[in-house]
Amino acid sequence: MDADTAIGGHGDHFPSTHLSLLEATTSGLSSEALDRVITIYWKPVYRFIRLKFHKNNEDAKDLTQGFFATALERDFFTRFDPEKASFRTYLRMAVERFAANQHAAANRQKRGGDTEFETVGEQAVPADSPEQVFEREWQRQLFCLALDDLRAHSEECGKQLQFRIFQAYDLAEGERPSYAELADQHGVPESSVTNYLAWARRMLRGFVTERIRGTTAGRRELRDEMRRV
Amino acid sequence: MNLSDSTLDHLRRVVALPDLSGTRYELECEIGRGGMGVVYAARDRVLDRRVALKVLDFTPAGEAQLIAALEHPAIVPVYEAGTLPDGREFYAMKLIRGARLDHYVAGQPTLAERLRLIWRVGEALAYAHSHGIIHRDLKPQNVMVGEFGEVYLMDWGVNAIAGTPAFRAPEVLLDQRSDIYALGALLRFLLPEPNPPALGAIADKAMSADPAARYPEVPAVLADMERFEQGLAIEAWPEPLWHRLRRFASRNALLLWLLAAYTFAKFLIFFLRKF
Repeated sequence: MDADTAIGGHGDHFPSTHLSLLEATTSGLSSEALDRVITIYWKPVYRFIRLKFHKNNEDAKDLTQGFFATALERDFFTRFDPEKASFRTYLRMAVERFAANQHAAANRQKRGGDTEFETVGEQAVPADSPEQVFEREWQRQLFCLALDDLRAHSEECGKQLQFRIFQAYDLAEGERPSYAELADQHGVPESSVTNYLAWARRMLRGFVTERIRGTTAGRRELRDEMRRV
Repeated sequence: MNLSDSTLDHLRRVVALPDLSGTRYELECEIGRGGMGVVYAARDRVLDRRVALKVLDFTPAGEAQLIAALEHPAIVPVYEAGTLPDGREFYAMKLIRGARLDHYVAGQPTLAERLRLIWRVGEALAYAHSHGIIHRDLKPQNVMVGEFGEVYLMDWGVNAIAGTPAFRAPEVLLDQRSDIYALGALLRFLLPEPNPPALGAIADKAMSADPAARYPEVPAVLADMERFEQGLAIEAWPEPLWHRLRRFASRNALLLWLLAAYTFAKFLIFFLRKF
């Protein structure tokens, strides 16, 4: 399977075309609210489409973009009823319907023409279902955005050291350094390492909560989504 | 920033842990998840004792105040309530050493012991109801049996959507009769197979789909259970004649044995005189 797109992921913001698309929407939601939704969900939707419908990178990007464009045109977001499902489930099911229709339409075209079918033999089979991957990407995206928030906040309030210690410990790949090693490296007492980590985690939790709050309909959904995170 | 699966899992774990800095508690481990939050075992550094620390997911739900208002031997005492540095509400309470009811029952206790447990739960419910408080989520997982046989009713629900399907009454708006339904379901859960029909009838009446057909209050359930234990007819069951006779025989066994012995002696004397 070819590499995933870099659009919409890991702290990068979306191409301005997406934002202008949002601004052009006639839905009742503010463009800022829609921006929040798309920022969090673009990558999970893209990954879900790729896995569920075995699409290549470009097709999956087109379908993802098509889904959000159609959703905006048809006021999809404003028709969300929090009594029936969480926004995340509502969105995923809508993506599935949209992509299935598009997929079927594309197949009908192929049957009537000379277009060759793509081979899917080389696509890696993921261990998780597309639904699990969707949820996982949603979590990943939330944390990536919240980490961006944390980094920006640390710089704003002069707590770069706290962020560096947090980065060295909580974002370490592989074996984590001990608190004593971190204290030595950064020239602070070991108790400060504990406090700095507690501060950063507390702030990170706050930023994750805020990001989720932006895409949920109320306290109950926020609580349920926080539990899933 | 690229987050690997392992880093993501680590972050999810650490942000979920309560931030106890600035409090008197030291985190030990998670011991359970309730309707509104997570319960941890923690050490109170000031008093050097272990406590249970419930960290609520969101906003003050009034749960601690609600439980603290209930002083009853079957309701876990709250030691302290407060706000963690991360903004979450928490409260500390007595750490119960014992077994959850569903685990305790796996040890096959006697029928008398099972009825004692229901009785204790019923007493706590009746007490709470008399204070205008309902539990909303009564189920075996929310009942603890302590080391000395004491029974505790945990996880008082303050959430209007609380309830676990098998133990939740069918009505949308929960009230005291919904707790009576759950008490009936708990009794049904505790009864051994085959169960005494009278106790099954008490559970059935408490679990009537129509709230008006249930017992009007918890003491009425307990009264019927007491009548069963005393060998009396219960309110919940129109007893068949044969069952009534058997119950009569069981209650008056000594008298019936004496009567039989007297009759036998009379027959014996009659035959001895004849021959």
